Amino acid sequence: MPHIVIDGTRIETSPDKTIIQAATENGINISHFCWHPELSVSGNCRMCLVEIGLPKRLADGSFDKDSDGKPVIGFFPKLQIACSTQVSEGMHINTKTDKVIKAQESVMEFLLINHPLDCPICDEAGQCKLQEYEYRHSNGQSRFEEEKNHKEKRVKWSNEIFYDGERCISCSRCIRFAREVAKQDVLAFVNRGDKVTIKVSEGKEFNNDYSMNVIDICPVGALTSGDFRFSSRVWDMSFNDSICPGCARGCNIKIGSRANKVLRVEPRNNMFVNKYWMCDYGRLSWYENINECRINEPQIRVNGSYEDCSWDQAVDAAYQGLKKYQPNEIMFIGSAYSSNEDNFLLKKFAKKIIKTNNIDFQKYSKDGFEDNKLKVNDTTPNTNGLTEIGVAPDQNGYKINDIAKKIAVGQLKAVYILDDSLGQFPELLESFAKAEFIIVHASNKSKLTEIANVVFATSTFAECEGTFVNFEKRVQHFKPALISNENISTMGAKMDRLEKFGSHNDRWSLRNIHNSRQSWRIIMQLANKFGAAWTYKSSSNVFDEITDQIQSLSGMSYKLLDEYQGLVLGKAGSPDKKVIAYQSYTMKPN
Amino acid sequence: MNTNKNTEAQRLTFAEKLYLPELAKGMSITFREMFKPKFTRQYPEQRWDPTGSYRGRPVLVLEEGKERCVACGLCSLVCPAMAIEVQAAETENEKERYPEKFEINMLRCIYCGFCEEVCPEEAIVMSKDYELLFSSQKDAIYGKDRLLVPVEQLQDRLDFLKEYK
Amino acid sequence: MNEIIFVTVSALIKSIAVVLCIVLLSAAVSVYIERKVSAFIQNRIGPNRVGPFGTLQPIVDVIKLLFKEDVVPAGADYQFHRLGPVLSLGVAIVVYAVIPFSSPFMMNIAGVDRLIQFGIAPNINIGILYILAMTSVGVYGITLAGWSSNSKYSLLGGLRSSAQMISYELSMGLAIVGILMITGSFSMNDIVMHQQGWKINLLLQPLGFIIFLVSAFAETNRAPFDLPEAEPELVGGYNTEYTGMKFGMFFLAEYSNMAVSSAMICTLYFGGWMLPFSPSLIGLHENTLALSLVQFAWLLLKVIFCIFFFVWVRWSIPRFRYDQLMRLGWKVLLPLAIFNVVATAIVMYIIK
Repeated sequence: MPHIVIDGTRIETSPDKTIIQAATENGINISHFCWHPELSVSGNCRMCLVEIGLPKRLADGSFDKDSDGKPVIGFFPKLQIACSTQVSEGMHINTKTDKVIKAQESVMEFLLINHPLDCPICDEAGQCKLQEYEYRHSNGQSRFEEEKNHKEKRVKWSNEIFYDGERCISCSRCIRFAREVAKQDVLAFVNRGDKVTIKVSEGKEFNNDYSMNVIDICPVGALTSGDFRFSSRVWDMSFNDSICPGCARGCNIKIGSRANKVLRVEPRNNMFVNKYWMCDYGRLSWYENINECRINEPQIRVNGSYEDCSWDQAVDAAYQGLKKYQPNEIMFIGSAYSSNEDNFLLKKFAKKIIKTNNIDFQKYSKDGFEDNKLKVNDTTPNTNGLTEIGVAPDQNGYKINDIAKKIAVGQLKAVYILDDSLGQFPELLESFAKAEFIIVHASNKSKLTEIANVVFATSTFAECEGTFVNFEKRVQHFKPALISNENISTMGAKMDRLEKFGSHNDRWSLRNIHNSRQSWRIIMQLANKFGAAWTYKSSSNVFDEITDQIQSLSGMSYKLLDEYQGLVLGKAGSPDKKVIAYQSYTMKPN
Repeated sequence: MNTNKNTEAQRLTFAEKLYLPELAKGMSITFREMFKPKFTRQYPEQRWDPTGSYRGRPVLVLEEGKERCVACGLCSLVCPAMAIEVQAAETENEKERYPEKFEINMLRCIYCGFCEEVCPEEAIVMSKDYELLFSSQKDAIYGKDRLLVPVEQLQDRLDFLKEYK
Repeated sequence: MNEIIFVTVSALIKSIAVVLCIVLLSAAVSVYIERKVSAFIQNRIGPNRVGPFGTLQPIVDVIKLLFKEDVVPAGADYQFHRLGPVLSLGVAIVVYAVIPFSSPFMMNIAGVDRLIQFGIAPNINIGILYILAMTSVGVYGITLAGWSSNSKYSLLGGLRSSAQMISYELSMGLAIVGILMITGSFSMNDIVMHQQGWKINLLLQPLGFIIFLVSAFAETNRAPFDLPEAEPELVGGYNTEYTGMKFGMFFLAEYSNMAVSSAMICTLYFGGWMLPFSPSLIGLHENTLALSLVQFAWLLLKVIFCIFFFVWVRWSIPRFRYDQLMRLGWKVLLPLAIFNVVATAIVMYIIK
C-alpha cells in the first residue's frame, strides 16, 4: 500500500488510485471542475493542478537523504493534474504553494473570460462551483477588455433540461454522464477553441430517465431544470434529507422547499443505495402530491357531506363507529407507502386492542418499470418493512383479496385503511363502498376519501419521521423536511430563511400548514380511546419498541441508521464501512 | 481638569465630583436654549423637496415599459427587516428572468437603502417619496403596481448613485 | 339632617379640589408642560395644532390612546397584566388624599357656620406615613407589569424599578425625619402650619431638601433616574408590552407621580399653601373662601414650577448608569440623610 504526503499530511492509499481520489477519500479537498468520482477522467478543466514530487534516488537505487535523515524530494518542474496522475510510494503533493495558487488563479481567469456576469439571472447562483472558486481561488481581477463570446442560450435538450452555451465551461461532465451512466450517448462537443459548445445529436433529445442528473453535476448554471427554472433562489430554500418514496430502491434525497412547498428534489449521496444519482421519475412524479390537493383537517361524513372537524371529534367518531362491530367484522389495511412505525402501531392496534386477525396490505408492482440502474418494479418504498413487521393475517384472518367477497356476504362491515392509494383499484373501491364503516388515513383527496366515514388528515412522508426498508433490505431513516402543525415547534430552525425569521402576520409566512398528523400518532390516540395506555412521545419511541420485538431489526436506532447511512436487516452489528461523502459544491465558500 | 491621574474618576476635581455645580451649569445651558429662535418647519403648509441623496420609499425603475429588475433576490436577501419578497418567472426578453411578484412590506421597511446598494441592475432605488399613508396592514404591502416608477422621475437619484455609489 | 348636608357639601368641595388637581394639573398640564418645555429646549415649537398654542394636545393624546387596540402578549399573565397599570395610577392618585390645598374657611351650610378645608384628609395624623406607604405600593404596579408581560425587556424594567424604588425610599424617609423632628407631627397640615412666613423648611433643612428632591426623582422614575424605561436598552422598559389605554394609564401614572411629588415638595419644603406674607396685606381675612382660593392658587403656582423643574431636569441631564444609581443611593444619599438627622438633633438640642 503506497503512502503519499499531501500538504504534509501522510495518508495511506491503494496503488490504483489517482491523487484526487486518494485525497477525497481521506477528506482532503483538491479544487476541480471536471472530475467526478463516478465518471471517467477527462482532465480538461486544469483546475486540479498540483505540485508533485518523488523521493530522489541515488545511483545505487537507495533514497537520497538530507542531513536530518529525511528523503530529498525532487519536484516536477511543471504542475500536474491531480485527477489523472496515479499515486506512487512516497509521493509528495503540494496544493497550497505559491506556484499552485498562481496556476489556479490563471485557470480561473481563463474560465471567466467568456463566462457571462449574469449570476443575478442564473439559477445556479448560490450553489455554483465557479462562484465558490471565484471567491476561493481568484484574485478578482480580469484583464480581458474585449467583448465576451456570444453563444446559444436557452437550448432545449429535452423538456426538462435547458442548456446555456455562454455559461458552459466545457468540463464535459454531462457528456461523460450521458455516455457512461445514462448510457444515451447523444451529447458531444462541437466547434473548437472559444467557440466550443455542447450539442445534442441531430434529431435526438437527451431524454433519458436519468438525464436530469446532469443538472446536479454541472458545476455552473449551464444546465437548468425546466421544472424548477427560476422558482426560487437556493439561499431562500431549505434542503432537508429524506428518502424517495417513488420505488423500493429508496434513493436518498434532499427535499428543497420554500414557504413549506416542495420546489425540487435532489439526490443525496449514499454509496450503498443510489451513489450520486436518482431517476427523473423520482424527481418529478410525486412531489406535487405533497404541495397540492391535500387534506388539511380531519373530516367526518355527516349526512353524506364532509365536514372539517377537530382531532378529538374525528377520533371520537372513529371510536363510536368501530365499537359497534365484532372484532372479526373489522379489517385493517396497512400501507407500504407508510413507515414501519405507522404500520407497527396499526398491527399492534389491530391485534392487541381490537383483537382481530384481519390485517393485510396491498402490494404494488409496475411491470417494465425496472431498469438495471436504480428503478425497481415495486413502486412502494416499504414492502419489505411491512413483511418484516408482520402486517399479514394469521390463518383464519382475511387477506386483502378476500375483502370483496367478505363484504358482499356481510362478514366484513368496517374497514380501517392506512393506505390512501387503494383508490386506484376500481374493484376494491366498489366493494369498500358497500362496507358500513370506513376509516381512511389520507394525505391527499382521492376517490377513497369520497366514500370514507372518517378521514384522518395524515402527514406525508415529507412531514414525518420514520424508517423504510428498501428492496435490498436496507433500513433507512428519514426525518421531516416540511412543517406540519404537529412538528412546527421542532422544524422551524431547519427551514428556510423566511420561515425561520418571519412572524405570523407576514404575508409570505401565510403558507399552507396542514393540520395533519403522523399515522402512528392518530392510531395511538384512537387506541387510548379504547382504553390502551400508550405513551409514545416520538417516532423513536415506536422504533425502539420495534427493535425490541422484531428480531431482524434489533440493535438498530435512529442514531446508528444516520451514522451508517442505513443498516441491512439483521446486520446491525456489522454495518458497512463508512465512506467520506464526495460533495460537488458547498453552499458557502469556506 | 487634573490630568495627572489615571482613571476618569480620579481626574475629576472636587467640584466636578460633587456633581451639583456641574448640574447647574448644564441646566443653565438648556434654560438659555429655550429663548433662542426655533427651527421648526410648519410641515403641511411648508413642504420639503428632498435632494437626490434622500432615501425615501424604495421603488422599482420602469424603463421602456419594462422593469429593470431581473428578480435575482439579492435585495430580499440583504434586507435586514425582511420586507421584500420576490418571485421570479421566465420571460421571452433577452434577460430571461423577471419578477412575477415583487412586494415590499412598507411597515417592515426601514429605509436603510441596502436593497439599492446591493442591486446589480440598478433596478431598485430610493425615491424622494416620504409621505406614506396606509389604512390597513394589507394596504402597506406594495406590489409591482405601486412600486414601478418611470425612470424619468428618478433621474436625480440615479445621477446621485452614479456619482457616489 | 344638617350633618348629612354638611358631609355632602364638604365632600363635594374636597373632591372639586382633588379632581381639579388630578385631572387638570397632573394629567393634562404636566404632559403639556413636558412637551412644550422639551420642544423649547430643543429649539422646536412643540404642539401647536390642537387648541390655542396646542393646549388641548394632552386631551387628544388620551382620546387617541382610548381608541387604540388593546394587545395582550401571548403567554402574559392576563390578570396581573391588567392589574399593573391600575395599581400604578391608583396609587399615584390616592396620595393626594393627605395633601392640604388651603387653610380652612368658614362656610354657612344648612344655617350653621362650619370650617371646611380643600383637600380630602389633610388633618389625618399619619399623613407622611401614609404617603411613604403608598409610594411603596406603587412599586408593585411596575414590578407586576414587568413580570406579567412575559418579555425580557419588561422584566428587566420591572426589576430595575423595584430595586431603585426600595433603595431610594430609605433616604427619602430619612430626609423627612428632619422635618418631623422640627414639626413634631406626622400631619401634613401641621407641617404646613409650622412654616409661617419665611420660616419654610427649605431654609431649615437645605440638605434634607436636596436628598428628598433627588429621591423624589428616583421614586417617580423620572430622568436622570428613568432606568426602568431606558429606551436604548430596554425598548420601553416595564411598559414595553402595553398598548392603548393601559399604556395610557402608565403614562398618566408617571405624570401624576410627578405632580404628587411636586405637591409633596411644595408642602414639605416650600410652605404648602401658606402665603409668605400676612393675608391682611392684600385685604383678606382669616377663614374666608377668598383667602382659601388665593392660597390654593399659590400652591398650584409652586407645584407648576416644580413640575417645570422636573421637566427641565429631564431634558438637561443624561441618564445615570445602573451602578452609578445604586452607588448614589446607598453610598451617598443614605449616609447624608443619616447625617442630616443627627445634625438636626444636635442643633435642636443646642437651641433648646
